[in-house]
Amino acid sequence: MHRKLLAAGFVAAALVLAGCSSSSDEAATDATAAASEAPAEEAPAEEAPAEEAPAEAAPALTTDDSNCAAPESFCIGLVTDTGKVDDKSFNQSAWEGAQEAANVTGGFAKYIETTDPKDYLNNIGQFTAKGYDVIVTVGFLMGEASIEAAKANPTTNFVGVDQFQGEAIPNLTGLVFPEDKAGYAAGYLAGLMTKTNKLGAVLGTDTVPPVKLFGEGYKAGVLAANPEAEVTIVYHEPNNAFNDPEWGAAEAKKQLAQGADIIFGAGGNTGNGALIEIAKAPGAGESIFCIGVDTDQFFTVPQAQKCLLTSAEKKLVQGTSDLVIAAKEGAFPGGNFFGNTGLAPYHNTEAVVPDDVKSQVDAVIAGLADGSIETGVTLG
Amino acid sequence: MTTTDPTRTDLGFTDPDPRRTGPLDRIPGLLLPIVSVLLAFAIGGILIWLQGVNPFYAYWVLFSNALGSSEGLVRVMEKSTPLILTGLAVTVGLRAGLFNIGAQGQLLVAAVGAAWAGYAFTVPAIIHLPMAIAFGMLCGAAWASIAGVLRAYRSVSEVITTIMLNSIAIALVDYLASRPLREPDQPLSRTPPIAETAALPQFGVIPSGFILAILVALFFGWFLVRTTSGFRFNTVGLNPNAARYAGISVRGTIVLAMFVSGALAGMGGAIETLGVTGRFEPAFNAGLGFDGITIALLARANPIAAIPAALLVGTLRAGAATLQFETGIEPEVVDVILAITLLLVAAPIVARLLFRKRNIKQTKVTSGWGS
Repeated sequence: MHRKLLAAGFVAAALVLAGCSSSSDEAATDATAAASEAPAEEAPAEEAPAEEAPAEAAPALTTDDSNCAAPESFCIGLVTDTGKVDDKSFNQSAWEGAQEAANVTGGFAKYIETTDPKDYLNNIGQFTAKGYDVIVTVGFLMGEASIEAAKANPTTNFVGVDQFQGEAIPNLTGLVFPEDKAGYAAGYLAGLMTKTNKLGAVLGTDTVPPVKLFGEGYKAGVLAANPEAEVTIVYHEPNNAFNDPEWGAAEAKKQLAQGADIIFGAGGNTGNGALIEIAKAPGAGESIFCIGVDTDQFFTVPQAQKCLLTSAEKKLVQGTSDLVIAAKEGAFPGGNFFGNTGLAPYHNTEAVVPDDVKSQVDAVIAGLADGSIETGVTLG
Repeated sequence: MTTTDPTRTDLGFTDPDPRRTGPLDRIPGLLLPIVSVLLAFAIGGILIWLQGVNPFYAYWVLFSNALGSSEGLVRVMEKSTPLILTGLAVTVGLRAGLFNIGAQGQLLVAAVGAAWAGYAFTVPAIIHLPMAIAFGMLCGAAWASIAGVLRAYRSVSEVITTIMLNSIAIALVDYLASRPLREPDQPLSRTPPIAETAALPQFGVIPSGFILAILVALFFGWFLVRTTSGFRFNTVGLNPNAARYAGISVRGTIVLAMFVSGALAGMGGAIETLGVTGRFEPAFNAGLGFDGITIALLARANPIAAIPAALLVGTLRAGAATLQFETGIEPEVVDVILAITLLLVAAPIVARLLFRKRNIKQTKVTSGWGS
C-alpha cells in the first residue's frame, strides 16, 4: 500500500512541478509576444510612409513560422531521411545548407527527423500545412514522396537532395552531383601522389550509377595525372553493397598486399570498412593513404583519420543553400541542379602533400567546374 | 505447483492461480498498467521540461494532432493495426507459456509474402485479397513454427530461437526484395506494387485492416476464455505437467500456439503491405513486432486490452513528428516513454520470476531430491 501511495505521490509531484514551470514559461512567452506585437499595432496610427521605410532598409526577418504564408516572410522546412540532423552525413549537410540560406535571406528554418519511412509524406505535410515557402527533402529514398508532395503543392518549392528527376516539375529541383568530377579530382591527386604507381579502389555496387561514376571518374583522373599508373577497382555485388565493412576491409588488405599505396573507398559502410583497414596498415599517413567519399570523412569516420588524404566531396551545404536562396529570389530552376564537387581539406596530410601537387589539383578542380576539363566518363 | 521443466519460466500470464498470494498478485489487473503508463508519462514530462518545453503543451500537441483531425485519426488507426496484431501474437504465446520475441521476424516474412501474392497473380479481388492475406499469415505461421517445433520436440528455448529467427528474417527479406522479387528497372530494393485487386479497401475514412484487427482481438478474447483449445493453451501455460496428466498434448499445444502466434503477427505484416504501403520495402515495418511485446505486457496478456494498448502506442507514434515540428522535442521521446512503460509493467514479472526461483531452490533443499 505504501508503495502505491508513494507512486501516486510521485506522479502528483511531477505533474505539479511541471505545471508550475509551464505556467511561468507561458507567461514569459506571452510577455515577449505582447512586447513584439506592441509596435506593430501602434504603427498604423502613425503616418503611412513610415511603414514602408523599414522594408526598404533591410529584408524583413522571419523569426518563427506563425505567418509563413505571408509574402514577406520566408520559411524553410527540412525533412530528414530516417536519420538525425547531426548524422555527419547528408542530413547534417543539408540542414547546414538550410540554416545558411536562412541566415542569408533572413528566413526561418526548421526540421523534422523522420523515424518511419512511411511518414515521409505526413512529415512534409506538416510544413505545407503551415505555408512554408521551401521544403528540403533529404536523400534518394524520399524521391517519390517529394514528387507527390510537389505535385500536390504547386506553390511550394521543393529541394530534393540527391534525387535525380526523370521528369521536370517546375517546383521541384533535384540537387544532384556529377560524381565523376569528384572522383576525377580524387584520382588526379592520387595519380600525382603515388610512389608505387599502383592505385586501388574499393567501391559499393556498380549497379548504382553514382558509385560507378565515382569509380570511373577516379580511374580517368589517375590516368590523366599519371598515364603509367595501374588502377585496380573492385565493386561489391549488388546485395548488401553499402553495408559490408568486412568485405571492404578484406579487399583493401588485398590491394595493399598487391602494392597499392592509395586506395579510394566509396560505398557507405563498405567503403568505410576499407578506409578503417587502411588506417591500420604500417606506414598509414606517411606512404599509405586512403581517400573517402561524399562528405569530409575526417569527421564521419574518425578511425580513418590516420590514412585519410582527402575525400571526394559533394558540396551539399553549398548546393542546398544555393537552391533555397534561388527559391527566395524567384529563380528556382526546377528539374535537376548540378551541385559543385571538390576535395575535402587535407587535415593531417596537409604537410605530406607537396605544394605543387596541391596547386595542380586545385587547377583541375577549377577546370572541371568551368567545363574546360572533361572526365570523359559516360555510363553505357 | 512448481514446474519441473527447467527451461520453462512461468511469466504469470496464465489464468490466475488461487494459491498465489504474494503481494504482487493482489494488485488489481488494471492498476499496474495504468500506473505504469502515468508514471512513464510523468518521467517523460520531466525530460521534456528539462529541454525547456512545457510538458502539458507537448502532450497536448502529441495527442491533438493524432486524434484531432480525420487524417490524424486514420494515421492512428493505420499505425495501431499491426500493433494490435503483434500484441495479440505475443499474448497468445504468453497464455501458452511461450515468450514469442519473434513477432518482428514473423511480420517481415509475412509482409514480403503478402506483397508477392499481391502482385504475382491476376485474379478477381474477391479471391485475391483473402488469398494474399492468408498467404502472408501462412508465411508468418510457418516462420514461428520453426521455433514452436524446436521448443516442443527439442526443448530449445523459444526466446532464443525467435530472436535468432528475427535476424534471419531480416536477411531473408532483404535478399528477396533486392534479388528475386525486386521491381525491375529502378534502383531501390523493393517489390513491385501490389495489384489493385489485392488492396485492402477503406470504409469511409476507416481502413478495413483496422476493423479486421479489432475483430480478431475480440475473437481471441472469446477463444482463450470460452473454447476447449483456449483452455488447453491456458492449462499448458499454467502447468504443463498437470496438462499432460489431464491428457492434453503439451507438444501439440505448444506447436499450435506458436503457429497461431506467428499467423497473427503475419496478419499484421500482410495488412501493412496490402492496406498501407502497397508493396514491400525492407525499411518499412521497422519495430512493429517489438512494440507488440510492450503492448502484450501492458495489456497483461488480455487480448481485448491489447486494443487500447496498441491505440496508445499508435497515437504516440503518429504524433511524434508533430511534436518535433511544434516544440522541437526529438521524436525519440516516444521511445523513451514506451521503454519506461515496459520497464514498469515488466518489473513485477521479473520479481515474480525471482520469487519463484527461490521457491524451487527451497523445495530442493528440503526434499533432498537434488544432487
